Amino acid sequence: MPELGRAALVLCLGLALYALLAGGYAAARRKRRLARSAQNALFAVFASAVVASIVLLAALLRRDFSFTYVAEHTSRRLPTPYTISAFWGGQEGSLLLWLLVLAGLSTLAVLLARRTAADLIPWVVPVLALVASFFAFMLVAVSSPFATQSAPADGGGLNPSLQNPYMMIHPPCLYLGYVGLTIPFAFAMGALLSRRTDELWIVATRRWTLFAWTALGIGQLLGAHWAYVEVGWGGYYAWDPVENAALMPWLAATAFLHSVMIQEKRGMLKVWNVLLVALAFCLALLGTFLTRSGVVSSIHSFTQSPLGGWFLGFICLVAIGSLALILNRLPLLRSKTRMESLVSREASFLYNNLLLVALCLTILWGVIFPILTEAVRGEQITVGAPYYNFFLRIFGLPLLLLMGIGPLVAWRRASLRSLGRSFAWPAGIALGVGVVLLLLGAGSSWIGLLAYTFSAFVIGSIGYEFVRGTRARKALAGGPWLLAFSELVSRNRRRYGGYIVHAAIVLLAIGVAGSSAYDKVGERTLSPGQSMSVGNYSLTYNRLVQRQGANATEVRAILDVRKEGNRIGKLQSGKNHYPAEDQNSNEVGIRTDYLTGEDLFVITDQINPNGTIAFKVLVKPLVNLIWLAGVVFLIGSLVALWPNAVEQRRLADRYRELRAYARA
Amino acid sequence: MLAIFLLYVSVAGGTPSIQPSQLPGHKGDVALVGKVSGSPAGDAHADGLRFRIRDVSGATSVPVVYTGSVPDLFRVGREVRVEGKLRDGVFIAKRDSLRTKCPSKYVAKKT
Repeated sequence: MPELGRAALVLCLGLALYALLAGGYAAARRKRRLARSAQNALFAVFASAVVASIVLLAALLRRDFSFTYVAEHTSRRLPTPYTISAFWGGQEGSLLLWLLVLAGLSTLAVLLARRTAADLIPWVVPVLALVASFFAFMLVAVSSPFATQSAPADGGGLNPSLQNPYMMIHPPCLYLGYVGLTIPFAFAMGALLSRRTDELWIVATRRWTLFAWTALGIGQLLGAHWAYVEVGWGGYYAWDPVENAALMPWLAATAFLHSVMIQEKRGMLKVWNVLLVALAFCLALLGTFLTRSGVVSSIHSFTQSPLGGWFLGFICLVAIGSLALILNRLPLLRSKTRMESLVSREASFLYNNLLLVALCLTILWGVIFPILTEAVRGEQITVGAPYYNFFLRIFGLPLLLLMGIGPLVAWRRASLRSLGRSFAWPAGIALGVGVVLLLLGAGSSWIGLLAYTFSAFVIGSIGYEFVRGTRARKALAGGPWLLAFSELVSRNRRRYGGYIVHAAIVLLAIGVAGSSAYDKVGERTLSPGQSMSVGNYSLTYNRLVQRQGANATEVRAILDVRKEGNRIGKLQSGKNHYPAEDQNSNEVGIRTDYLTGEDLFVITDQINPNGTIAFKVLVKPLVNLIWLAGVVFLIGSLVALWPNAVEQRRLADRYRELRAYARA
Repeated sequence: MLAIFLLYVSVAGGTPSIQPSQLPGHKGDVALVGKVSGSPAGDAHADGLRFRIRDVSGATSVPVVYTGSVPDLFRVGREVRVEGKLRDGVFIAKRDSLRTKCPSKYVAKKT
C-alpha cells in the first residue's frame, strides 16, 4: 500500500510539472491543443492526489503502524473520529491535504471559468500547476507521508489538545482558506501574463476570494473557540505566531475584497489590487509554513525544520516573481480615472485599505522581529501582546469607525448637506449610547467605551442603510415591508451581505472589548467546603470525583455556583490524564448566561496532594457575542456568495462587455 | 501610520529573549528560554515553584522561582519560556508568565 501512495504522489509531481511547462509553453506560443492537454494534466493531479489521500486514510483507519506517520499520530485507543483528524494532525498529512484541496479547487475553478474567462485560462493553468508542483515535490522528496518502518505494538498517540471536535473542522477550514487564496492569485497572474489587465480576472474570481476569505475567517473563530474551551487559560487569542499566521492573509484578503470594488466601479487601483492579491497569497504560504513548523522561534528553525528552506525559497520565488511581473506590466495597469475627492466612497475604501494593510504589516513585523534581531544583533528580541494590542487599537478603532462612515458617503464626491442628512441618525444613536454607557460606569476603560460608541455608530449606519433601502424599494414596488426588505437584499446580495458581515465585525468588537476591558479575575486555593467570590458570583468547592473516560482518566472538582446570592447550579472543572501520550490537559468549566452573553470560566489550576485545589475564576462579560459574530459572519458571507438570477444576468452582461472591450 | 509605528517601536522596543548563559549583563526584564532541569519543588500557588532552567544545548543553568499557573506540559526536559529578572543569582519570574514551548501546536511530541 505505501508503494501505491508514493507512486500516486510521484505521478502528481510529474503531471503538475507537465502542466506547468507544457501549459506555459502553450500559452506563450498560443498552442490551443497543448494548452488543453496541460489543463487535463492539472485535473489528473487531483485524481492522483485523491488516490494518495485514500491510501493514507485507509492506513490511519486500519491503524497500520508500519506507516511511520500513522504510528506517530495515532494509537490503538484513539477514537475513530480523531484517527481521521490525525490526517491533518501532522506535517506530512497536512501537506497532502494542501495538495488535495489545491488540486480540487483548481479543477473546479478552471472548469467553472473555462467559458467566461477563456482568455485567461491558458495562463492560469501553469500558475496553478507551479503551486501544485511545489507541494507535490515537498511530499515526494522532503516530507513523505508514506515513510515506513517495522510496526511498533502501539502508536504514540495524538496530542491531547488535538483530541477535540474542533480539530475535526478547524484545520481543514483554515486550509480551504489558505488554498482558496491560490485561485484569485493564479487568475491575477494569469491576467498579467496574458496582458488582459481589465476587470475580467476580478469578476471571474470574486466568489473564490469570498469563499477563501470566509473559510479563513470561520476557521480562525473555530480556532479561537477551541483555544477558549480546550486550552484553558481563559483567553481565545494570544497573538501566537501560529494564530497570526491565519490573521495576516485574512486581513490582506479583507483589504483586497474592498479594493477590487473600486476597480470594478471606477477602474482605479489596478496595481494595488494585484499587489494585494500577491501579498495575500504569500502570507497564506507563510501561514501554512508557520502552522506546520510551529513558532518561528529562531533563524535556526528554518534550517532545522526540513520544510524551512524550501518554503522560504518558494515564498521568495512567488514574491519576487509576481513583483517582477507587475513591474513589467506596469504600463498596462494605468488607471483611466482619478480620485475626485477625499470625501467619497472610494476614498473611504482607500483609508480602510491603508489601515488593514498597516495592521497586517505590523503583525508581520511582530512575527519576524525575533528573527531579524537575531540576525542583526545575535540576540532575539520578542514583542508580546502589548505590541499587538497597541496596534489593534490604533488601527482597529479607526477601521471600526470607517465601517460606519463608508456606507453613508456617496461615490465620487459627497456634498456636505447629504453627509449631514445621512450622518444625523447614526451619529445621534452613537452619542446617546456613549453617554448612557458612561453613566452606567463603562468609563473604567476608555478604549472599551470608544469601541462601544463606534460600534453603536456602525450599527446605526447599517440600520439606516437597510431602512433607507427598504423604504425606497417599497415606494418603487409597493407590497408589505417584509417583502420589500427581502427583495432589497436578494437584488443586491453583495452589498447587503457585506453589511451583515459588518454587523458581525461589530459583534466581534463588542465581544472582544467586553471580555478584555471589563473582565474580572479571582484566584484562590480552596479546601472542600470553602468558597470564593468573583464579580457577583460566589463558588463553593464541593468535592472531587474521578472517573475513567475512553482514553483518559478524568478528575473533576464539583462546584456550587451562586449569583447575587441565588443558587444557579453546579459546575465541573478539572483535568484529564492521557496515559498513551502521558500528558495532562485542563478541562475548564464554563457556565454561559445566554441572556447577557456572559461566561463564568473556572480553571482547576493545580490539584494538591492534600485535597486542596488552586482555582482561577474569570468572569467574561459579552464574550459569547464573539461566537455569535461567527454565525452572523457566515450568514452575511453566504448572502454575498449565493448566486441568483439577477446577478447571473448582470455577470453575463459584464463578461460580454469585457470581451467587447478586449477585442476593441 | 508609519510614524506611529516607528515611534512605538523605538519607544517600547521589545523583550530580549535569552538563555541562561547570556543572563549576566542583563539588568532589566528578559524572557528566559531554556530546558527545565533540577527537580521542581514547592507550590506555585504559595511561596513559589523552584526549579532550574539550563541552556537548550549547554550546561549553564540558573535557579528560578515562579508563582502562578503552571502549564500542563511543564516537565523536566521540556523547553520553557519565562519572563522576569535576575536578583541575587536567582531568576525571579513574573506571575503567570511561564509558557511551555511546544515544537508546534499540532505536531505530536517527537522525542
